[in-house]
Amino acid sequence: MTLVNEHAKLLSNQKVGPKLFVMELESPQISASVQPGQFVHMLLPSADSHVLRRPFSVYEVSEDKSKLSILYQVVGAGTDYLTSVQPGATIEMIGPVGHGWQPPHEAQKVLLVGGGVGAAPLFMLCETLVNAGVKVHMILGAQSEQAMVTRKAYEVLFGITEDLKPGLATRGGLHTCSLSCATDDGSYGHHGFCTALVEQTLQKAARENTPYDYMAVCGPEVLMRLVKEQAESAHIPCEVSMERRMACGIGACLSCVVDTVEGKKRACVDGPVFASHEVVW
Amino acid sequence: MVDLQVNLGGLLMKNPVTTASGTFAAGKEYADFVDVAALGAVTTKGVSLNGWEGNASPRIAETPSGMLNSIGLQNPGVAHLKSDELPWLKSVGATTIVNVSGHSFDEYVQVIEALEDAPVDAYEVNISCPNVDAGGMTIGTHVESVTKVVSLCRAATKRPLIVKLTPNVTDITEIAKAAEAAGADALSLINTLLGMAVDAERKRPQLARVVGGLSGPCVKPVALRMVWECYHAVQVPLLGMGGISNGTDAIEFILAGATAVAVGTANFTNPHATMDVIKGIEDYCVRHNVEKVTDLIGGLEC
Repeated sequence: MTLVNEHAKLLSNQKVGPKLFVMELESPQISASVQPGQFVHMLLPSADSHVLRRPFSVYEVSEDKSKLSILYQVVGAGTDYLTSVQPGATIEMIGPVGHGWQPPHEAQKVLLVGGGVGAAPLFMLCETLVNAGVKVHMILGAQSEQAMVTRKAYEVLFGITEDLKPGLATRGGLHTCSLSCATDDGSYGHHGFCTALVEQTLQKAARENTPYDYMAVCGPEVLMRLVKEQAESAHIPCEVSMERRMACGIGACLSCVVDTVEGKKRACVDGPVFASHEVVW
Repeated sequence: MVDLQVNLGGLLMKNPVTTASGTFAAGKEYADFVDVAALGAVTTKGVSLNGWEGNASPRIAETPSGMLNSIGLQNPGVAHLKSDELPWLKSVGATTIVNVSGHSFDEYVQVIEALEDAPVDAYEVNISCPNVDAGGMTIGTHVESVTKVVSLCRAATKRPLIVKLTPNVTDITEIAKAAEAAGADALSLINTLLGMAVDAERKRPQLARVVGGLSGPCVKPVALRMVWECYHAVQVPLLGMGGISNGTDAIEFILAGATAVAVGTANFTNPHATMDVIKGIEDYCVRHNVEKVTDLIGGLEC
């Protein structure tokens, strides 16, 4: 796929949770071709001291495919600077970059697990699956209710009316898609790590003899490692999205390599999505 | 029409701009952004005889106006370069400089020997990588080992031989003179400056290997100083690099004594950087009524 260095217009840049921001950008070229799991490699505007671009997964693309949004967390000086960029600014970004999610074509029942901002790169995948009539169960994990900023978007996508118990919701009427949540502080849904919900979900599917046929997980590396072990125990193919510091973002510099069973591979173009069994953890 | 052509120790370049080894792979990855045939030359990522795995992650860290890297010369080996990369560069009409790396004196020679029947326009011998334990920078910091490796490479090829120098020495002109005396046709400088970055919160180094090579705009003053020193110490032409991201930066190096320049870290910031630099050099020449870019070499008035 052809990469472009698009001059996107920043439409909004809003705080949505603790150290969490969503920016919306007008970028007709990248938005028209970006696939679920791909990212943009963004140059921090007028930040001459920051020579490296920052990779951000695409969260959502507008229906007319002219705008995209990015969920980002402030983790250092670069992202801290980014929060101060005002709507109207022009932001250069290379995209769409990377090898995205590749669910099997025959997948009928899918389990997605998003930890923290890792829930964002799964959203477009989830949308594609839902639109294709695939049964999706989404598990979200976050530090707190305030930090679980993607929940609303998933609920809207699933057409969810809040169920009896907070943190567990089911798509109204159809019961095809469902959402369960876990928070570290217990402020919403299950109190604890979301791997407990993964375990429950897989056990229930096994009991009912309706196994999941694909899993995808994105979040902190420890979460991805634990979930991929759960997937492998249940013999379910699983994909993970690896995060690395990147320089070129287009496959040239070998800064972002991931250890795999076939040697070092580039997170930027061989990934960021890898089959979980391919990664050496 | 400005004449941008330069002769770098027998390598004819249509303009003075090449890529700094390791920042541009072998060009293919940049094909969506850059017409590699329009470059003075493409300098490929350092290649060794057999594949190297390179260092552990994290391999890079951003620093003020620059970055540290410790890639460790990861490359799939010379056979892969010959079968997959060089034919592509030839097919698109690029001028090609291959950066040659090794763990030992013999390995440098073996890589050159393996490339003698391949479409290569010049070699750049990397005796200055700070990120490998054997060979690399340790060879490039002593007159005796520089003399030995350059002599061996010289004997192995008649093609233009560029020797890439490390800035991590007390007096770069001593090393430059040794490389020239041993048969180098040109010298390239500077490789990265050895540095480190610390994450105070976690009390850990930013790089897995602790130390790495510093590059980007922050190193430009050091690089300019060293190019200027070498220009006055040796007769062979110089390929200057270190923090070049626009035409003005390139002109500064040419005035300090560089015949050609390489764009490195700027490729990461701006994938079109090489094209911008060529355009910027041309614009400068037009503005200053310079007919031939070579008229500017060493033109610093001081």
